[in-house]
Order: sequence, then structure tokens, then C-alpha cells
Amino acid sequence: MLELRNISKSFYRKEALNEVSLKINKGEIFGLLGPNGAGKTTLIRVINRIVEPDRGSVWFDGNLMVERDLEHIGYLPEERGLYRNMTVEKHALFLARLRGLSKKDANMKIDYWFDRFGVNDWRKKRIEELSKGMAQKVQFICAVLHDPKLLILDEPFSGFDPVNVELIKGELAEMRAVGKTIVLSTHNMNSVEEICDRVALIHNAKRIANGSVSELQNQRKMGLYAVRFQGSMISFVNALWIGFEVVDKDILGDDRFEVQLKMRRDSTFEDLLKVLIGQVKIEAAWEVRPSMQDVFIDLVQPKEDRDEE
Amino acid sequence: MKNSWRIAVREFRERIGTRSFILLSILGPIIVLGLVYVLFAIGGQSKQHWNVLVADKYSILDNKIMAQEDRSVTYFFANDYIETDDFQLGKKYQKYDALLEVNEKVLSNKTSFVFFREKPSLRMQTRVQYQFERRLEEVMVKEFTKLSVKEFRQIKQPINVEFRDVTDPEGIVSNVSGWAGFFFGTLIFVFIFLFGMTILRSVTREKTNRIVEVLLASVSPNQLMVGKIVGIGLSAFLQFVIWIALIGFGLYFMREALFPDMLDAAKMNVHELTLNANDVSYAENYFAAREYNEFVDLIYKQVQYTNTISFFILFFIAGYLFYGAVFAALGATMGSESDGQQFVIPLIIVLCLALYAGYYVLNYPEGELTSLFHYMPFTAPVVVMVRLFQGYYVAGNVYEIYMTLLVLIASALGMLAIASRLYKNGILQFGHRLKIKHFFKWMKNT
Repeated sequence: MLELRNISKSFYRKEALNEVSLKINKGEIFGLLGPNGAGKTTLIRVINRIVEPDRGSVWFDGNLMVERDLEHIGYLPEERGLYRNMTVEKHALFLARLRGLSKKDANMKIDYWFDRFGVNDWRKKRIEELSKGMAQKVQFICAVLHDPKLLILDEPFSGFDPVNVELIKGELAEMRAVGKTIVLSTHNMNSVEEICDRVALIHNAKRIANGSVSELQNQRKMGLYAVRFQGSMISFVNALWIGFEVVDKDILGDDRFEVQLKMRRDSTFEDLLKVLIGQVKIEAAWEVRPSMQDVFIDLVQPKEDRDEE
Repeated sequence: MKNSWRIAVREFRERIGTRSFILLSILGPIIVLGLVYVLFAIGGQSKQHWNVLVADKYSILDNKIMAQEDRSVTYFFANDYIETDDFQLGKKYQKYDALLEVNEKVLSNKTSFVFFREKPSLRMQTRVQYQFERRLEEVMVKEFTKLSVKEFRQIKQPINVEFRDVTDPEGIVSNVSGWAGFFFGTLIFVFIFLFGMTILRSVTREKTNRIVEVLLASVSPNQLMVGKIVGIGLSAFLQFVIWIALIGFGLYFMREALFPDMLDAAKMNVHELTLNANDVSYAENYFAAREYNEFVDLIYKQVQYTNTISFFILFFIAGYLFYGAVFAALGATMGSESDGQQFVIPLIIVLCLALYAGYYVLNYPEGELTSLFHYMPFTAPVVVMVRLFQGYYVAGNVYEIYMTLLVLIASALGMLAIASRLYKNGILQFGHRLKIKHFFKWMKNT
């Protein structure tokens, strides 16, 4: 669907992107992650042709991207605005027409999306009269109004109230189901885990990781396991003997604990369960996978660097 | 192109829907008409007093002009011929404000000259002309006809009294038409400034509320800038047309209702004129009306409309594009809405220089700087207007106006190209404090 090949871009000696390549498949939600100033917004602007790359190329639907392809892209920037003195309806119509819709089609789409988001009663109001939440809905509608094949959302959940966040998430899931491709740039790692199929991490102008959420999490696994049980902590530790090492524990109250362990020698998860059964009452046991937050921090600032600091 | 037009239409609709546009469309002409009324109805009543020396070698006027003394003008008589140089520099003539030359052929060619030291008001000119004309009528009636003065006035031909600066007796320097050109040139720059500032504010507002990034995902920075300049330019043009229509109608209305011309052939009431010839207040009203109507005649009749309006529109558009691009680029490079105001001041100074250039050319048509001001794109629109109304572009040098237009259009395109680069590189830069180095930096490609 969208392919970026060796994109490089500098702004007056400051390198914003260095040989970044990405391949985004049709019908997936792709997360674009990275700390502030990493180059995500520049990359998004390159896709939107707002910024020309110094080197590299952008391919859309198998062809070198041209200006006309912008009509198939929806874009919700991080710093988004509206013309405050235009009415909601005129604003939406103006942006839809800029995206290449005919007046008739634009009006049909406006009716559909305004109905869907409950904006109908507000269509004749000026933007300045809207609440923040309502304005956010209008901004999202303006980005999807022309039925784009590719939707690019830069921090789509920032500033949204929880109700609107859920509303947008639901819409994104539905769009993916009908084959739309979504690129999502965000710092909200919970959302990434929840809705992204694949992610790429940009840091210091370079792509430093790329893959599905579970692949990235698996790559960063530390060999940790967790057990939640009820019983005596002494019995628990005695049962482990030398095959396992306790790394961390949480006291949950009422003789309930949650313990994190590492395997020693050739011990396995099954061995762990065998030694514990009968000694404590096991409520749950699982392999600890790092959260996307952990993956992000680990990639952006490796443990060695953090230790040095 | 299509998107530039959509941007332009949005800008146009936004402007014409605002209260300030509607207010300015109505109040602007009302203020101009009000000023014109005040200028002619009240302003002329100032107590300026003139000493006029009448050089009447052949005693045609018989050493008198007015039956009664006029508080505004005192006439002195010299039965001799006086050179303008002598009048200008001669010690004994310094107490006189003007020299009225009555040559021996005045009765046949009906032309006379008044050489003044300081330009008199139109009303003072009308007063002298009127009084001189009345006296000549009496002389003519007495010398050549058996008619009464009243009968003679019905068939007489007007007398041409030319007012000239004593330092410029050939009458090369500015004339009233030149001032009309200066007025139109000034109007161009007033509109350029007002709507240039609108461009600047519109660009910075789009930057501040961040709608610009949404737009740039659909249109190129160049399309956005051009659309904005064109849209705001169209609203400026519409406002201009409204102004011209309302002012035109207002001038006509005032001519009919407030300043009826008592000497107009269609309305002339000779009996009334004769009866009131010595009534001071009647004469005052008459002078005011005559002065006003001369002004309106200049606007309505002496201006060659097709030619003048065509060039006015062309220079208005080219000048607006030139300066509009500068305002757009400045708006795009500002870090916030309040930033960069210090760079508006040099722009205002340049606009003032343009007005000065117009004034300079008006007074020194052959001055050293005239050619420079004529071709310089910053000053060309106002200078060309002055020269156009002065009737400068006749057969031999008509090419000059086209040359200037060409230079201005080329400069406007060049300025649009520079502005386009500044716009492109500056429009997505936020939060900085604008410095001169930013212009040089953003002029280069990223």
C-alpha cells in the first residue's frame, strides 16, 4: 500500500531523517513510534508531500507517489486547527472539495459522517461556538470525509476525552475491517498495544525497530515469569530451591503475593508449576512479556545507557 | 490551480462577510464625501486675503475691477507691462501676492494669465476669475455692443484665466490633473496597505491555529499563498469598486443637491444672477459651487476613462501582487501572531516613500529622481498615476508606461518567487522570534 524507500531529509544541516525505509500493508494499523524530535512528524509530512525528501522515494499503491494520490490520503496532524469563524458544514465542505470531492459527493459524505458522529445539530454553528470535544469530532470527520485509502493520524488521541478516544478507536477498527490502511503516530503505548498490527520506531532520524507488536515484545523478553498465589511466602521460597531466582515480589494482602522469577540452569515453566503445586495455592502463572512502554524505553535508551546515567 | 481558486474563493467570502468589510465599504465613501463637502462648503471660507497687481498697460479695465470692495481681494493697478522675473524678484512687488496680466489682445483672444507666488485655493482662483470676467464683460459691452450687460451675458463666451506659478510661468509643473493622479496613486497604496495587512494577519492566523498543516496536505505552499493573495485581492477590488460607485454617485448627488452650478447653461437664471451680482453671500455660494463643480468636472470629464481606468487597474493589480507577496512572506515567517511587527514598519516606510515619489514627480516632473521613481517597482504605481493624469504619456513617450508596467510585472513575479520560497520554508516554523537571518536562511532551499 505505502512504501518508503531510503528517505533522508535535513533542515539546514540538522538531520531529520536518515535512510528510513518502511513498508505498510493494506488493511493494517501501523504505529509510528519515537521520542519527541525523532523525525516522525517529518516522515508524515514527507508522505503527505508537505516536505520534499532530499533523497529516497515514496510509493503508493505500487506506483511512485504523485500529487493526485493525496486525494486518497486523509491526514489529522498533531497540531490541528479549524477556521474559527466558518460554520461546521462549510468548513467540512471546503476541506472535502480541496481533497477532490465533487460538491454533491461532499454533501452526501457530510450527511453520513455528521449523522454517525452526532454533529447534525451543530452543522450551522460556527466552529468557535463548539465545545472542544465537538471540535475534535469535526477535525476527525474532515480527515476521513473523502473516504481515503490511507489515513494518517498524528497523535490522534491527544486532547480527546475518554469517550471520544473510544469512539475514534471503534472507527479505526471498522476502517481496518473494510481494508483501509491507517498510520498512527502516538506516544500512547497502551493504544499501540491495543490497536496496532505492526509498528516502527524512529529514533535520532533513523528507524531502529520494525515489526509486529508481539514480535517486538518477544525480542525484548527477559526470561521472566510471574506467579500469583495465596499461602506462605516462606513455603513458596523453600519450594523453589535452587532452580529459580526471585526477582521481585508484591504483597497483595490476605496472604496473597505476586512474585516475578527467573529460571536457573535448565528449569522450565512446567518445572516451576510442579514444584509449587501443593506448597501454595496458585491463582495465576504466566510468562512476563515487556509492555510496549518497556520496549520503547529499552530501544530508545538501552539499559546500559540508563545504568551509566 | 483549482485548489488555489478554492482557497481564493474561501478568502474572498470570508472577507466580504465580515462586519469590517461592510462598514469600510459604507463608511469609507461617506468619510471621503464628507471631507469633500467640508473642503468645499466650509473650508473655503478661510479669511485668506490676496493683493493682486493688475498689469494693464493699455488701461483696458480703467483701473477698476469691483464696484464694491471685496474683503478677500484687493486690486492694485500698474499701467505698464511687468516681466514675471521682475515681479518675482523685484523689491517693490513683494507686497503683491499675484500679478494679473491684461494684454492688449484680451478682448479678442479672451485669455489672460495670473502669476502667483503661493498657490491660491481654487475658491480664490474662482473669485479672481469671476471678478475679472465681470469687469471685462462691462468693458466689452461698453466698447463693442449696444446690448445690456444682462443680454450680453446670455451670449458671451467664457474668458480663459490661467493661473501659473511665478517661478514656473510656462506652466510645466504640476497641475490639478496631476493631483488627481496623485489621489488615485494614493488610493492604490491605501488599498495595498490595508489589504496587505489583511494578508499578513490571515497567514499568521492560519499558522497560529495550525489549520495550515491540514491545508498543506492538499495544496502546495505556493498554491496556498497565491490563492490567499488572489482571494484577498478580489475582496480589495470589490471594495474599491463599491467605493468608486458610492463616491461617484455621492459627487453627482452633491452637485445636483448641494452645489448646483448657477452658471450651468441648463440651470442658468440670468435675471437672478444679475440681481444678485453684488450680494456677497450669494457670490460665496456661487464660488463654492463653481469650485466644487470644477473638481467634479475634473473627475467626470477631464479624465480619459478607458485609458486611465485600464492602466489604473493594471498598476493596481501589479502593485498589489508585488506588495501582497511581501506581506504574505512576512506573515509566513513570523513565529506567532504578535511576532514580526517590527518588520511591518520598514514596509510602511517603503509605502510612504512611494507616496513621496508621487509628490516629487508632481512637483519636479523633470527632476533627477523622476526616472528612477518611475521605473522602481516600489514607487511605480503612484508615479505612473501622477504622470498619466498629467498627460505625460503622449505619442513620443507612451512606450515608457508599458516599460514600467513590464518592469513592475516582472518584479511582482520575482517577488512572488522569493515570497514563495520564504512561505514554503517558513510556514511550518512555529514559536521562534523572527530575525533578519531567518529571511536569508529560508530563502535558500532546505
